[in-house]
Amino acid sequence: MNRGPFLFLGLFLILASSWTFLLKQSNEEFGKLTALVDEEQGGLLPRGVKGPAAHGKELYQELGCIACHTQQVRVAAGSDIERGWGERQSVARDYIDQGRVLIGNMRIGPDLTNVGQRRSDEDWHLLHFYNPQITSEGSNMPSYPFLFETREIVGEPSANALSLPEEYAVEAGYEVVPLREAESLAAYMTSLKVDYDLDEAPKSNEVMAEELAVALENAQ
Amino acid sequence: MNVIGNLWSSLFPDLSGDLKNRESERAIDASIRFPLLSLIKSSIVWLILSIVFGLIASIKLHTPSFFAEYSLFTYGKVEPIFWNTLVYGWLFNAGFACAIFLLSRLGGATAGMGLFLTISIVVWNTAVMAGVVGIMAGEQLPYEWLEFPAFVGPVLFTAFVGIGFWCLLTFRNRVHRSSFASQWWIIAALFSFAWIYTAAQVALVCMPAQGAMQTLINSWYAENVFGLFVAPLTFATLLYLLPKTLGAPIVGHKYNTFIAFWTWILFSSFAGASELVFGPVPVWVSSVGVIAMFGLLLPATALSVQFLSSLIRRFSAIWDAATPRFLLGGSIAFVFLMYFKVFGALRDSASVTQFSLYDSGVNCLALFGFAGMVFSGATYFMLPRLLNKELPSPTLVDLHFWSQLMGVILVSIGLISGGEQMGALMNGSTADAIAVVAAMRSSYFMTTIGLVFLLMGAVFSATTYFWLMVSNRTDAEQSADLIKEAPELEYTAS
Repeated sequence: MNRGPFLFLGLFLILASSWTFLLKQSNEEFGKLTALVDEEQGGLLPRGVKGPAAHGKELYQELGCIACHTQQVRVAAGSDIERGWGERQSVARDYIDQGRVLIGNMRIGPDLTNVGQRRSDEDWHLLHFYNPQITSEGSNMPSYPFLFETREIVGEPSANALSLPEEYAVEAGYEVVPLREAESLAAYMTSLKVDYDLDEAPKSNEVMAEELAVALENAQ
Repeated sequence: MNVIGNLWSSLFPDLSGDLKNRESERAIDASIRFPLLSLIKSSIVWLILSIVFGLIASIKLHTPSFFAEYSLFTYGKVEPIFWNTLVYGWLFNAGFACAIFLLSRLGGATAGMGLFLTISIVVWNTAVMAGVVGIMAGEQLPYEWLEFPAFVGPVLFTAFVGIGFWCLLTFRNRVHRSSFASQWWIIAALFSFAWIYTAAQVALVCMPAQGAMQTLINSWYAENVFGLFVAPLTFATLLYLLPKTLGAPIVGHKYNTFIAFWTWILFSSFAGASELVFGPVPVWVSSVGVIAMFGLLLPATALSVQFLSSLIRRFSAIWDAATPRFLLGGSIAFVFLMYFKVFGALRDSASVTQFSLYDSGVNCLALFGFAGMVFSGATYFMLPRLLNKELPSPTLVDLHFWSQLMGVILVSIGLISGGEQMGALMNGSTADAIAVVAAMRSSYFMTTIGLVFLLMGAVFSATTYFWLMVSNRTDAEQSADLIKEAPELEYTAS
């Protein structure tokens, strides 16, 4: 059987339909969203990544943090809400201003969508990067010593030196100072929070019930 | 192209010229020897490198302090390097080798333009190397199986077009005008990859689509690399080698192959969206993916029945030679793979296994178990014919087979069943993240041991290849009738 033209025609039609119906159609539906302006919730939604956090985002991509951490919250499955990883479903609009998105599909570590709400202290993150065993003992997250510099204290100790607990302390007369990379990454972590509601984003049943109860109480 | 003539001859095929003899086969083999050997050599080097990176990644999961002080070897870098070298380094090179061998043999004409092909192969491997260096240097992109830095894409694509163009010309210049199922699968693989890679490069790397669209394009691409490139080349190899090595035509080739071919391509091309279930995209997108994934049951069943019943019918022949044993291993892996893939995509199972190691396990089963086994078997078929030498040591081949099998089993159990356990804790409870790590330790260890077995298998096969290439020919190996083919099976009507 010589099916050359038939083969190419068939392949072309199948791939074209997969591309059109799946990708093109999706792009029309949720690939051209715009930010919303909502004064009650503090202006432009989503809020965007700015300043040192933007530099931190680049490092997050460079070091491959996405291999273990997702940035998406689900309400229809899993225990994301119960774990306090978020209050509502992540939706397409949450990601529109992120450039290269870091949604991820692997959770060897926890989800980071709202890590800035759970852990708002940059020092905690710096300790965590320096050695995760300090902050979360038993974790299998590697330490990132190359984001820090261990140096001799000359004169006064540096203001931004890590305050290490005793069993992790470096030798006397030395201090551990975060490099700019570590500080940007910590800034990115604390900037990660979805603290606004979107109409299209479903919440878990429990959260909806609570909100309804509050609304009813206010109405009385 | 004479479209009407071709359509006419597609209805009334001319089967003259199907008979060949070993002399013409030797001439064909000689015309592709150099490029094929370079593909086989590159593939084995990439395989060993890739498993070494995989081992580093796997060890880091249970011993996070391993290599932690080097910024070049963060888990987030070695893990993508592992997958990318496995796919673009090992499987693409091995797959190209099978495609070139099959197209030349089935076409029946000696091939030209060897230099052009070799240059394309060199460019391909250089680009993969550049990609690995790029990831280590921190230029990686956050897309699964597309982590290579942006500048690598066009080079890889150019090299691919070179190799694909050569394959198309070989297909076009074939002496036998009729075509065998293996040829369709290869042509489909080449055409599809050119398409999906272009789409992914344009919409993800050069002009990134907005937000959540990127994950959709990424899942679509990653699933299609397997479904529309690696798997078709593996099917092509199986369909060609089963009759050749078992000495009997494929079971059911008259009815099965055609339906399996079109349904596989159709469902595969949509199946990638299933990964986005519960994600930040409209529900219909992932539902289309789940339905398509379920549709894959039809071609998967047809193909596995075909492969396994062909093998079982000639079971005694399996232990006579190196190749059919690997084909059996690959066919069995295919059954398990499709079971885990299809039923793992259903909403209920995905709600347990999502974001766990389950998907990595399924990918390992697909790449090491299914495609890897078949391509290894094919290499043991091609090398003696290209070099006119016998395999130097059956023991080494045995060792390779059993280590690879052991490795595939251990890695699959470690990641798939470990993934289910991890998912049950992570998605089904609010167990502390630290508790999940503690519960997963044995699975992480098992994966590491499995990768050690895979590495041993790769080293055994590399030893065989190297030995075969450098050894002197014995008297028997000087003669043209060292390898006895069954010429009537060169061409099994489809």
